[in-house]
Amino acid sequence: MKPHNAEKTCWNCPAAVFKGNVDFRACGQSMEEIKSVEEGMIVIECARRPELGHFEPTITFEQCPEWVLFQYGLMLKNMKVMILGIDGYLGWTLALKLGRLGFKVSGIDNFLRRDCVMEKGAHTIVPIERMTERLHAAKEVLGVNINFRRIDIQDRSKLKEFMEEVKPEAIVHYAEIPSAPYSMVDCDHAVKVQENNVLGTLGLLFLIKEVVPETCLIKLGTMGEYGSPLTGRPLFEGMFPADAVMVWDNREWSLGGELTPRDPVSFYHVSKVQDTFNVYEACKYWWLRSYDVMQGVIYGVHTDEVAADPRLRTRLDVDEWFGTVMNRFVTQAILEMPLTIYGTGEQIRGFIALEDAMECMARLIVSPPEPGQYDVVNQVSGLHKLNVLAETVAKVAGTFGSDIKIQKLENPRVEADRHPFEAVSRKLPHVFGFTPKVSLEKEITRMFELLMQPDIKKRIEEKVHLIMPRTRWDGFKKVSDVLEVYEPGTREDMGYKPRLDRGQEKVEVEPELKT
Amino acid sequence: MRSSIPEISSVSWSSIITGKNPGEHNIYGFTELIPGTYTLSFPHFAKLKSPPFWSQEGTFVIINVPSTYPAAPLNGFLVSGFISPDLERAVHPPEYIDTLKAFNYKIDVDTKKARKSPMLLFKELFEALESRMKVCHYFWEKIDWDVFMVVFTGSDRLEHFLWHAYEDETHEYHTKFLEFFTRVDGCIQEIGESLRKSDSLIMLSDHGMEGTTFNVNVNCYLEEKGFLTGGKDPKRGYNNIQKGTKAFALDPGRIYINKKGKYPSGCIDHEEEEGLLHELVDTFTSLEKDGEKVIKKVYSKDEIYHGQYIGCAPDLVLLPRKGFNLKGGITPESVFDTDVLSGKHTQEDAFLYGKSNTHVPENPSVEDVVPLLKRIMGW
Repeated sequence: MKPHNAEKTCWNCPAAVFKGNVDFRACGQSMEEIKSVEEGMIVIECARRPELGHFEPTITFEQCPEWVLFQYGLMLKNMKVMILGIDGYLGWTLALKLGRLGFKVSGIDNFLRRDCVMEKGAHTIVPIERMTERLHAAKEVLGVNINFRRIDIQDRSKLKEFMEEVKPEAIVHYAEIPSAPYSMVDCDHAVKVQENNVLGTLGLLFLIKEVVPETCLIKLGTMGEYGSPLTGRPLFEGMFPADAVMVWDNREWSLGGELTPRDPVSFYHVSKVQDTFNVYEACKYWWLRSYDVMQGVIYGVHTDEVAADPRLRTRLDVDEWFGTVMNRFVTQAILEMPLTIYGTGEQIRGFIALEDAMECMARLIVSPPEPGQYDVVNQVSGLHKLNVLAETVAKVAGTFGSDIKIQKLENPRVEADRHPFEAVSRKLPHVFGFTPKVSLEKEITRMFELLMQPDIKKRIEEKVHLIMPRTRWDGFKKVSDVLEVYEPGTREDMGYKPRLDRGQEKVEVEPELKT
Repeated sequence: MRSSIPEISSVSWSSIITGKNPGEHNIYGFTELIPGTYTLSFPHFAKLKSPPFWSQEGTFVIINVPSTYPAAPLNGFLVSGFISPDLERAVHPPEYIDTLKAFNYKIDVDTKKARKSPMLLFKELFEALESRMKVCHYFWEKIDWDVFMVVFTGSDRLEHFLWHAYEDETHEYHTKFLEFFTRVDGCIQEIGESLRKSDSLIMLSDHGMEGTTFNVNVNCYLEEKGFLTGGKDPKRGYNNIQKGTKAFALDPGRIYINKKGKYPSGCIDHEEEEGLLHELVDTFTSLEKDGEKVIKKVYSKDEIYHGQYIGCAPDLVLLPRKGFNLKGGITPESVFDTDVLSGKHTQEDAFLYGKSNTHVPENPSVEDVVPLLKRIMGW
């Protein structure tokens, strides 16, 4: 069986440098880089194989000797990937993984995440090293060289200089403030989040156009951009499918290819939606290419690379601003505190384990879109109702000898806490060949094993007062009232059932890695 | 003057500047396949296997000769013509790049703009011509040259797009069409008036022009007759050619046998070739549109090519009759179609002019230009 990206061509390859169009019918040429086959024959050069001269972008990855088989399909030899926000929870983990897979990794960070967490008096409960030590350990333990620069994404002149030096063939954009509660603290925090995220991304788009228009931007969005429509309308992957139809007033219109509605639920989520539009437009105006990754709630601590040495661990935040729900549940369980759910706890969200998310990113990086193509991937491996998730964590905690309760809090957020939820995630299995490898229980167990280590448990205890939510969407500052405390297994699962649509066809898996 | 076969600029100019047959200079078209693949490539100057006349002793100014990109070192100055994807590598020596930019030098009209509107076409044509003349005047004085060569390509572009406006005196762009040629005449006059007494002048075109009505998509015809099996995926191009394909065409009417061992899906053994060639000749000579024959002549490669690179030559080359414009390309859907272009090249009525002392031969071909130049220059 062929790798998922075998049939892609130079058309998709970042090494293809577009040189314009020729029009033999009129003995003419155009220096405009209109990257559409409808506009005349396209001429490219290959940055990797200059001996080929000028040619049509029709060579498949499978045919090209620069694309070689690896664990997740075919990869461009020594492909240069730049990670923006490389010091973060995801950025650092991905850097190590890609480095280990043979990518040439570079990255920037201004340590804003460390500053934001410190500003709120919190800290990462898994201790992490300073960047200098991280880079040293990556080289020493994994043999991975990372080209790092301390640069703020909004410092466009420095970022431009670095991009010109590296000429990345893919850019992974994690350099955003990833917190809904942080954006809801007050005006200054909302402005800070939107300024960093929206303007940072907008500036980046201009730099890509100018410096590396052939690169693929893999931009982290969030499933939260869609909201959770009470109608139960499926959350398609960014755009309506070809056969979607709108009916109104006895008339009918096709919705195929149109962006689906977005319904963000915080000023942070609004920043992500604004990014979506900016990236979408840039692809349209300038023939850039991008995957906008609508990632589910991320959780977990494990990849083989971060687990290879304590100095390589990635951060893990559990405070009310930066702690995602699963990471918070496990922490509460370790301290034998009740697991806190908001309102009914029947909110349904998409989830993905850290290790699976990193595999998805590797697969996206080696399977770039076409010039001008903006595409959206819903990156989830499962959907879970939060109260059911709490039950699962409590169950795993039981295997570690803990007896955990679940506690309903007054919901500090303005959101529906009981709603239908159907998410479509067909591209990961059917386009990118991904199947989830990590079960909930497996990753929760790994988290317990790591977080119960005495030094880490002590760090959790030091910041236990920062776990409970005090940031409310209505602007009032107060700790949420407790509505109910109950034993796991004593409540019937009520209401809506999550539905994850991964398509009907058989999911292809990668061929055995040839040596 | 007889043009090259096929009668397209890359081939004819390669013969004009080398004095050689395509079998010797190795340029058979604007396109070729990367060896061992079906990937279409665009041969550049390094693929030219015979030296151009400017490799002789002397100082040269060479402006806008097609198929000379990327610019190779020479004694003098060169700016390449169509196809030149960028100015940076189209100029030698490179220190003149800024000079050309200062003149707003246009390598060619932008055909994409030309397709949008005739007004834009004329704007592009006049701008390109004026910038070319500025560069001509500059280097005429700047360099103490022995041979100065400039190619005006605008007339070709204009005739491709608006031949019908030329033929129809009532057409809204007829006058403008003639106005452009008047300006070209003016440019020639400027050059003529700058000649020193001892200078010789040669003028030539690389092909003639006539009206056309139909495009003939040769690969569609091959498919219709069962010689070609391939999808029409523009992203895969010729790479979509399937096993079982006996022959395929490259622009404009170059026919290649899908030989075993030469192409990835090649299936024709050497002993099958002759029979297949006869079959193809019969197939093409019988092609008709509304009762009218389409193909004037089918040449075999041995008939028209000679030289050490004949192995890369097409097996057959088609010459169309008036009104038909042959097209390669793997994606068109029907054998006959039309587009906005109304003019096409002709093979037999290019022209060659020399001042009385230049001894233009009888019935010349594009391969006779260099020998003529050699006689003048005493090389």
